[in-house]
Amino acid sequence: MVERKEKIFTPVSEKEVTRAIVDGFAKQFIEYVESDCLIIGGGPSGLMAGRDIALRGVKTLIVERNNYIGGGFWIGGYLMNKVTVREPGQEILEELGIPYEEATKGLYVADGPHACSKLISSACDAGVKFANMTIFDDVILKEGNRVCGAVVNWTPVQALPREITCVDPIALEAKIVVDSTGHDACVVKKLEERGLLKTSGYGAMWVEQSEDLVVQHTGEAHPGLIVTGMAVATTYGLPRMGPTFGAMLLSGRKGAQIILKKMNKS
Amino acid sequence: MEGLIDLIPHSFNLYEEGDISVININGVKDYLKEKTAITVTVFGNIYEGLSEKQIETIAQKIARLRIKNPMKRALSNMIYDTEVNYERERIKDPTWKTFGILYEGLLYQQVLNEFILEGRLNEQYCTVLLTNQLIGTWDQDSLRYHIRTSIYGFPHIISIPGLVMGPAKPREFYLKRQMGVPMELLEEEYKGKVLEHRDWRMTEVLKGYMMQALFYHLTGNPFCEDRDCRLFNSHWQEDMIHAQLGGNYEFCPRHEGILNRVRNRVSIR
Repeated sequence: MVERKEKIFTPVSEKEVTRAIVDGFAKQFIEYVESDCLIIGGGPSGLMAGRDIALRGVKTLIVERNNYIGGGFWIGGYLMNKVTVREPGQEILEELGIPYEEATKGLYVADGPHACSKLISSACDAGVKFANMTIFDDVILKEGNRVCGAVVNWTPVQALPREITCVDPIALEAKIVVDSTGHDACVVKKLEERGLLKTSGYGAMWVEQSEDLVVQHTGEAHPGLIVTGMAVATTYGLPRMGPTFGAMLLSGRKGAQIILKKMNKS
Repeated sequence: MEGLIDLIPHSFNLYEEGDISVININGVKDYLKEKTAITVTVFGNIYEGLSEKQIETIAQKIARLRIKNPMKRALSNMIYDTEVNYERERIKDPTWKTFGILYEGLLYQQVLNEFILEGRLNEQYCTVLLTNQLIGTWDQDSLRYHIRTSIYGFPHIISIPGLVMGPAKPREFYLKRQMGVPMELLEEEYKGKVLEHRDWRMTEVLKGYMMQALFYHLTGNPFCEDRDCRLFNSHWQEDMIHAQLGGNYEFCPRHEGILNRVRNRVSIR
């Protein structure tokens, strides 16, 4: 066995590591303070929408309140890490290179970690950038109450009592904002607070019908605001979907098609 | 027979909304002819021949009829373009399969009456819409909306998914559902005891509801209190399946008598 005489890694000081992190973050952040599309929520529908538009050259930033991206797509339901899609959702799994098996006729099952990591990777490869640990706080409204961006803050700031932290948020501008925050429908709810929209809350779970309805209702809920995924169910009072993900992927794709059309890139 | 309306219609006029391919419409047509000797005209898609402007108006009207909270007797006063787009797409596609939105049934009937079948409704026709959508009405006793199988009037509306979702399943079904028993297991356990969405018995059950529509037309009362009669107003799946498929007779003697007179065009007064 040959003994290595040199160190494996290049010597770098602590301060250089810190500078690299700050520089890298700052460069990207400054660039993405203004983007073409700002997606709030990095779950499957947000990732899918982001991936599809970024592939067509749309400058896209996804804001995610958690450290991890992927939302509920890691886990299929009841903490079991198998995710299911109904036909034609498997076509997207195939497109993303996610292995899957047919469980019953028209129902396909994939490994949650594999499916989620592939989707994230595909979004990254397409050019999507992320601001994780960043929580949506408010919307930016301009002429005609058009949504033109979002006000955000660090997630930990919101977790601390106000007596300890009083950190003002910052604003990110975009031509189009997407609400893909799941059942919370955070962006839509913020517009509701201002009397601009009215949500209906989601109904009882009804897998068979809700998937179709979610995809069919994906679209612009307010000027400048596209709603995808389970936020669609909350906005329009559609049935809850349950642990199937085909509609999340297809809703994201439909949202992307609408965005591209609006940007004349379809 | 005092108080009977006694208007034997010249024809059953059947219209369809969305995909109702689960129903054998010729089977229904033959049955009605045999039982009543009344002509049956199947018009097909109710939205056929409407102009873009009419479709737009109807899409706007129907989008307002969504029951978003079954516990509240109020319709949303905020309508989204997405909801109107959904209705427009649905109206334009006669093979539309999706359902799951619950519409205010009486107002739905009013839209059909005023904007779609305007000029095509009168007492000489027993006009029935077979829809693949869900309709509901407010129940003053339970203070909530309920899914309905049928709403009788001008026109009569019979909801095909309503046959599955209107009459309640056994109480244990809902208890087990609340306890978290998977739907697939429940479907297996209750197979045959309740109607399913693609059930082969659907056409047979529908025939009884068509006759209820006729009796509403003739007498103002579509129902019978006899559980063995096809005119029984079933609130439970078990009752519906019994009345439509397993009763001791098809119609109780009184209603069979009226049907005989209809067949022979004898006044039922």
